[in-house]
Amino acid sequence: MTEPFDVARRIAAVKRHPVTRWWATIGVALRMAFHARAKFVGTLLGVVFAAMLANFQLGTMFGLLAKNTTFVDNANADLWIVPPATTFAQPGQRQRTSLLDQARVTTGVASASALIMVGTSIAKPGGGSEALTLVGVDLDTMLGGPFSMVVGEPGVLREPDTVIMEDAQRERFGGLNLGSVREIGGRRVRVGGFTWGLLPFGPAYAFADIDLVREIGNVAGDELSFVLVDVEDSADPVVVAAELQQRIPTATVISREAFHDLIVSTLLSQQLGITFGVSTLFGLVIGFVIVLLSMYSSVIDNLRELGTLKAIGYTNLDLMRMLVVQAMVYALLGSIVGLGLVAGAAEGIRSANLSLVIPHTLVLITPPAMMLLCVLASFLAFYRAARLEPGMVFR
Amino acid sequence: MSVAVDVAGVTKTFGKGPLSFTALRDVSFRVERGEIVMLVGPSGSGKTTLLSVIGCVLRPSTGRVALFGTDLAARSESELPEIRRALIGFVFQGHNLISSLNVRENVQLVLETRGVTRRNARRQSEELLDRVGLSDKLESLPSQLSGGQRQRVAIARAVAGDPPLLLADEPTAALDAEAGLGVTELLAGLSRERSSTVVIVTHDPRIFGFGDRIVKIADGRIAEENAA
Repeated sequence: MTEPFDVARRIAAVKRHPVTRWWATIGVALRMAFHARAKFVGTLLGVVFAAMLANFQLGTMFGLLAKNTTFVDNANADLWIVPPATTFAQPGQRQRTSLLDQARVTTGVASASALIMVGTSIAKPGGGSEALTLVGVDLDTMLGGPFSMVVGEPGVLREPDTVIMEDAQRERFGGLNLGSVREIGGRRVRVGGFTWGLLPFGPAYAFADIDLVREIGNVAGDELSFVLVDVEDSADPVVVAAELQQRIPTATVISREAFHDLIVSTLLSQQLGITFGVSTLFGLVIGFVIVLLSMYSSVIDNLRELGTLKAIGYTNLDLMRMLVVQAMVYALLGSIVGLGLVAGAAEGIRSANLSLVIPHTLVLITPPAMMLLCVLASFLAFYRAARLEPGMVFR
Repeated sequence: MSVAVDVAGVTKTFGKGPLSFTALRDVSFRVERGEIVMLVGPSGSGKTTLLSVIGCVLRPSTGRVALFGTDLAARSESELPEIRRALIGFVFQGHNLISSLNVRENVQLVLETRGVTRRNARRQSEELLDRVGLSDKLESLPSQLSGGQRQRVAIARAVAGDPPLLLADEPTAALDAEAGLGVTELLAGLSRERSSTVVIVTHDPRIFGFGDRIVKIADGRIAEENAA
């Protein structure tokens, strides 16, 4: 006599150890992915391409943004007093020097210095000229003075008729060397040092004593471009800024961080954001399509095996888990390779004209972003797998 | 004996309208527990459709199928994979092994799917493969095996976890005569050891003798039933 058969107990038994089943599912997913090597490499290249292109584009954009904010970031000023509607640290509307006195008597201000920026030109020895942004610095405080120097010291500006130029523009300005003499704005000056990488979208920066710049740029003695304020360590910059703003309502008082953000948001809202945004998006879309087609084609290639898995009891959820695991592996490996290649490119470029800035945030965001992309791209493959009838294994 | 498979008045029609095709017509038959039944008939007679219906991979258009007293019509679509995991082992015509997994992993996978822990699944799969004479091929991929060896792995996979019902679709079709007989002998032997119920769809008259009963299907109907 055969023993009574308890179907419910059998079903309960196969539901034991779900984690073992999940691991088995993951194992099959990985083995299937790695087994078809050509397809694996093709899919991986899609993710690498997407991660690389997106990071390259965003890195270039951050590099360009950094070039335009680097002056504000390195001017050593806690607060800037700028003309209303100012969006960049560049030559423009002038302000009265009386602002300096008003700033200096404000509680919490350690020092306040004038900064003059004029647009001028440098004559080349063989004829012709190139545009230049000449920055006049108060040598007592050196706020807004030269930084990122590769030759010479900022103090060289104390010598008469001396300027510090941008290293990357040496050839463009006619083969500049230390001690070269050139005409800037019609005034003969001597090159006393070089900075590296101070190249905003406008003309390159050159630094000189503020009085020399007044003469070259015909700036009146009671005029200046910006007032740079150093706040006392014990004072709250926000409070000092508010008091300054109340004292001088005709100008705008802005913190270094806010000025940085203003420049970034202005550039992003213009062509820079659109150009790089679109190219980044293209990279992601192309990567998405490659992964989508590769994973779909992989499911088509493995229909019989997936049907077999369904016949032996795999659910659609199991198949989804398999595809998501595969997508995440592609994303993780693709991100690592893509980021590695971009990091190599960033190291290899090292040009003052084009620098790749990959912030840590971008590095951290890339793998989850690629995972999202790949998981979304796996949905078409899942849709096909879910529609698969297990009965097909008998045909 | 109690009933393992109870098929009552099953009709299966594919498609709708003038292009529809009826593969099974009012089929009723039973398989007792521990019985080995050979389902035979010409191509297109409905054997494989009937096997699919019994295997819960195809729903009948009308009629009722019960496995070990459990009415499949009362079970939702999402419950069917659980029933297949719990009750049924499959042997397919083309072995259908997972090509990226080695021999041991193909068997182990089914055990893990059936709720066996990894360590036990590994041990049991090795024992089963030893039983089917493939202990020296544990790490081989299916592509490195002969047709007969692959079908032996498929049999080990089907009986892994001791499912009470084994369904085999033309298990000897892709094998030469000697290998075919060997595989069927193995399948019948293992199922008798485990008191499993077996339904084998076959064209191959040389293996009819391994069954307890032969059920002949023609034109979607049970045409004849005989003791083997």
